[in-house]
Amino acid sequence: MTATLQPVLSADAMVRDAAGRAFDDLAADWFRSEATFPDDAARVRKRQALLNAVAALGFADALASPDAREAWVDAASILRAQARSAAPIDMALLLATGDRLASIAGDPSLYECAADAGLPGNAQAVLALALGRCLQICAALEAALDLSLQYVQDRRQFGRPLARFQAIQHSLAIAAEELAASTALTDLALACMVREGCASARLPGLLDAAALVLGHAIDVVYDASHQAHGAIGFTREYPLHRHSLNLLRWRDDLQRLRGGELRCAERLGDAALQAQGVWSAVTALMQPGDRHD
Amino acid sequence: MNLHFPVFELPAEAQALRREVRAFIAAENRAGLWQRGGDFATHYDPAFSRRLGARGWLGMTWPRRYGGQERSMLERLVLSEELIAANAPIAAHWIADRQSGPLLLRYGSEAQRREFLPRIARGEIFFSIGMSEPDSGSDLASVRTRAVQVDGGWRIDGRKLWTSFAHLNHYAIVLARTGAAGESRHEGLSQFIVDLKAGDLEVRPIVNMAGQREFNEVVFTGSFVPDARLVGEPGNGWRQVTSELAYERSGPERYLSFIRLAEAALQCAGANPSPRLREALGRTSAKLIALRSMSIAVAALLQQGAMPNLEASLIKDLGTAFEREQIGVYRALRSELAPASAEYLSALAETTIYAPSWTLRGGTREILRGIVARGLGMR
Repeated sequence: MTATLQPVLSADAMVRDAAGRAFDDLAADWFRSEATFPDDAARVRKRQALLNAVAALGFADALASPDAREAWVDAASILRAQARSAAPIDMALLLATGDRLASIAGDPSLYECAADAGLPGNAQAVLALALGRCLQICAALEAALDLSLQYVQDRRQFGRPLARFQAIQHSLAIAAEELAASTALTDLALACMVREGCASARLPGLLDAAALVLGHAIDVVYDASHQAHGAIGFTREYPLHRHSLNLLRWRDDLQRLRGGELRCAERLGDAALQAQGVWSAVTALMQPGDRHD
Repeated sequence: MNLHFPVFELPAEAQALRREVRAFIAAENRAGLWQRGGDFATHYDPAFSRRLGARGWLGMTWPRRYGGQERSMLERLVLSEELIAANAPIAAHWIADRQSGPLLLRYGSEAQRREFLPRIARGEIFFSIGMSEPDSGSDLASVRTRAVQVDGGWRIDGRKLWTSFAHLNHYAIVLARTGAAGESRHEGLSQFIVDLKAGDLEVRPIVNMAGQREFNEVVFTGSFVPDARLVGEPGNGWRQVTSELAYERSGPERYLSFIRLAEAALQCAGANPSPRLREALGRTSAKLIALRSMSIAVAALLQQGAMPNLEASLIKDLGTAFEREQIGVYRALRSELAPASAEYLSALAETTIYAPSWTLRGGTREILRGIVARGLGMR
């Protein structure tokens, strides 16, 4: 028994770093190919968002075939690494458009760009996009928490580091718990994708669950990380804002890709009603299908 | 972040066991052998425990030579979660199966394993936890119960408190001070298997808020414990007692205690379920999937011989906070039910009353968050 008990997924930092560089190369290529775009702010904004969509969809397409499922592990590493690095958003450019809402949201949502490109017609691609957003959200949650943990060690008030205050410890502990739940659920969905592919009957339900659990985790981490940082976290010069703004935008994408937060909840609730039990529905959704190898 | 929850899939034998357990519970329910009700930690039925033992479902992960079945921790998790989801009366054997047995397997002498484990596995003997004292709750290292070496054994003086079912169970594993505490205060502690039926100790009842006789105070006045009942090494008690925590804190009892209420509400959905109820059932399912995945990871890590105490503490805090929040969710939905059943009302009343115990026993939420904070490098 013990010998056969291996994790379905395991993280490898070196693979992640290499994958992150590969993603950057891909992004650079895409920008070069789009060099003929008029260089106004709206175009740049649109292009940035479309880059995200194409990059994610490119992975999804490459990985949709049954032969290429294993490659999802690499794709996950790429998405996580890119999300962790959180390249700075060119806010001066965005603010120049005068569109304050857009400046807060960062750029038009992936969902709208995907819709423009006719992607929602491809249900499996949309699932891949949603899983990609889950992976990015987990990476950004972890990055925001890591920044907070470092900050509360460095920052001293009342003669001691903030980390010595129990109120701070508990607030960040709760944030870490939500991150752990988010990562566990995302890894479960990723394992489902790797094992069963985009056509898995379980994948939509797991992504609905992720849209709810990650959605809540973002609230908790957004609150705790900014509270721990004080005013510095609410500036453009300190990196926390990149993760926060990404989290807010990616949550919007994830939930809209799934039709909205309430639809996710209602679909899972209907599954429980159909199974005549919450517990029956949960165990069924977590049980690997017959399709896996 | 040094938290580790790898994804494990339940093996085929665990899936087969789930079907077997569900069929067993359905047959028990058809025969009317017990009712849903109370709380996993207080729903006490020795006959039910013996029926589980007869099926090889107690101590099922232990070696066969000690009465076990050599099945995996993942199979034990499947059995546990099905029993808890069904509100089965598991309180009698729960502590012995979950942590006293594994403690003896890890630290006990060969004679202790041969004496106790097969009887636990048959559901013949039940164990209590002897940790808390009048002045030692969360600060467990401050215990004042003392054991002094005498000819052939130890004399124990002191008091243990909140000792669930000491009046019904056969043994308690008592943590006592046997030497100097040292700077860490973790030195000089030892664990003893105490016979609760011996005449030289007193078991005083304490009725819980639900009106049930659950707790006890156990008073030792020069009570004798033979050498053969010392568990492990004298002075190693702190390390031993903390080894129980991963078993104690990561299981389905830490996120499914409320499930009876959600299931009762679902049964009252009617032909045209309220969107609010559908939403609540969905949100409940989503968080359960995440928690269960983490719990499966800890069971698998235990199976591999790891001691994931940090991960287990995290699950207990997250899971018990979730359980408590769920009660309010389903209470608010009462007007959406068509109509509220007697089972819903009973589940609502009982979960509401027992809820405070969920975030206390097995480590308070404050202690657990401190452990998570230490894992994050803040302490």
